[in-house]
Amino acid sequence: MLDGFPKDLAVGDLAEGSVTLTVDAAVYPLEAVYGAAYIFIDRCFVLLDRPKAGSVSVTLADKKGAADADALRRMAGEFANELLTQAWRQKIVEENRVILETVTTQALAGAAARPVSSEPSLDDLASFDFTEESFDDPLGIAMSWEEKYKKKTPTEAASEASSEGGASGAKP
Amino acid sequence: MMLAGIEKPSVTFPAFFRVREVSGSFVVTNAQGDWVILTAPEFKAFGEGTVDPSSTLWERLKAANLIRAEFDVPAAVARLKKRMKFLDNGPNLHMLVVTLRCNETCVYCHASRADMEAVQTDMSAETAERSIDLALGSPSPFITIEFQGGEPLVNFTVVKHAIEYGQRRAKEVGKSIEFTMVSNLALMDEEKLAFLLDYKVQICTSIDGPEHLHDKQRKLIGSSAFKAAVHWIKRINQAYVERGLDPSLYHVEALLTTTRDALSRGREIVDTYNSLGCRALHLRPIDPFGFVEKTASRVEYPREEYLKFYRDTTDYIIELNKKGEQILERYAAIFLTKILNGEDPNFLDIRSPSGAGISAIAYNYDGLVFAGDEARMLHETGDDTFLLGRVGELTYEQMMAHPTVRALVLASNVNGRPDCVNCAYNPYCGADAVHTYKTQGSLSGRMRESTVSAVHKGVMDYLFEKIREGDPGTMEVFRRWTINRSRDHFVQVPG
Repeated sequence: MLDGFPKDLAVGDLAEGSVTLTVDAAVYPLEAVYGAAYIFIDRCFVLLDRPKAGSVSVTLADKKGAADADALRRMAGEFANELLTQAWRQKIVEENRVILETVTTQALAGAAARPVSSEPSLDDLASFDFTEESFDDPLGIAMSWEEKYKKKTPTEAASEASSEGGASGAKP
Repeated sequence: MMLAGIEKPSVTFPAFFRVREVSGSFVVTNAQGDWVILTAPEFKAFGEGTVDPSSTLWERLKAANLIRAEFDVPAAVARLKKRMKFLDNGPNLHMLVVTLRCNETCVYCHASRADMEAVQTDMSAETAERSIDLALGSPSPFITIEFQGGEPLVNFTVVKHAIEYGQRRAKEVGKSIEFTMVSNLALMDEEKLAFLLDYKVQICTSIDGPEHLHDKQRKLIGSSAFKAAVHWIKRINQAYVERGLDPSLYHVEALLTTTRDALSRGREIVDTYNSLGCRALHLRPIDPFGFVEKTASRVEYPREEYLKFYRDTTDYIIELNKKGEQILERYAAIFLTKILNGEDPNFLDIRSPSGAGISAIAYNYDGLVFAGDEARMLHETGDDTFLLGRVGELTYEQMMAHPTVRALVLASNVNGRPDCVNCAYNPYCGADAVHTYKTQGSLSGRMRESTVSAVHKGVMDYLFEKIREGDPGTMEVFRRWTINRSRDHFVQVPG
């Protein structure tokens, strides 16, 4: 039993230096349980289990072994607070997705932009691709509609017509 | 019971707002950073939508864009755009750790300094060149190269080379460049100083307070670290005057690290800074990085004690200013610029998103590149979470597309953090994902348990209390603190 925690939801084992918390899956999303459990892996061995439908159990075992009651209580308390933070953060991120993505995109785009004032320098020549086929385009994304579906451009059509319509005579 | 005795909250009168009770008053802000300070009856009327349209309260709320029916969309957009201007450019602060060697031993050393024999921790000239090449890949038209250590004067040959190379390359790519150096100054000599002055290198040092405190925390074998620093501060300031520079603008500034021993010496610290001609004092609390891991029991303290120190010391600084002295407290200046001017001074640790990766990059002596200095400090204690790559291999585009940079941007946005998202100080605040990772194990952290959050809230509570009091002398001091005088002498423009 851990002071301040419901005895059926948090159980400490002083000899093993571990605490097991039972989390209601309807209250906390599984992603929040993963997120909260993960931050303990530098100091604890962490085991997740599903003791019954609708519940997830989390066992945090101090890597050093036996622990006192106060240390176990702190461990359980920190996990509980982190779990709430992760669950709420997940909700906030869903609700604020547009503003978060907009700011992130602007920040990364601003940082990634090519310098406005700099022309391509001689140094850039070293990595310049001089080949005509600079990338594969198996789906023909970079091709025009006419190229892709074999319909001739007016120029190509005129040229072919001209050649075809040369001394050998025009086709019907 | 709702705040201020509100019984029937109106869902149609107030525009979006956040509120924080500060010493009996209510600080109300909106998403763009407009604000009003209300009494309890005023806040009740605001919350219940019973404000008289002919009242001054209505006008104040309208001016702060807090009345839904009067909401000025173009004004809100313009204000938000102005506040977020820093997003437009890439990294402008590039920190070169030219060596880990240091001639001083500090109880809190965040940089994890190495002994003077550890020459393997010196940056090579080639690594310095590749670092500068990477830095100049930033789209920012203005680049700051900051030399750090260890003690950068220990590897001065490479500092010189980097300055000459950087100056030449910046001209070639058409960028403005500025060099700064953070040094304890004990290894300075006239020859080095002449070079630094000729190349317009801005020099910054560390002063932890009066001599006895400084020397207790910063050990210089066979001498006084304080006396060495003070000697060179005076000499450099004199040299600036000799070169015709305005001493009120051009002088050595110093950084304070507030340890437990400093908390009872606020006035002595201010007097020390003032006597040295330093015009800015940042009462920043100690960081958890580097040697503090081992010395925390000696140097750390509860943040409630720190906030008392902050309030008392800043009160003293304000009083000195009223008597004609010119010295500002940096935290206050940063927040006041946002609160009073609606601008962001682009202080990288108090920004949303923070500057880690997108505005500040650290280059280690061995060529490893990190998303900011704290990220590099973690590496020295065995954690490479924020390692981006190595100079000479990593391209600028790869660095900015790095998933770690993206994660830092997302995690340090206060609109994605519990507590921050509801906090009245959201528009002025910032989150440091590297700090929360270090102290709480996750990038997003738990702000209610965060020492950084406690400090930011405490400092802004203090400032809003002062603003509410409205003492004309204090407000004039605050106004002056928000004026940013650029030091153009140090900026080397191309052409």
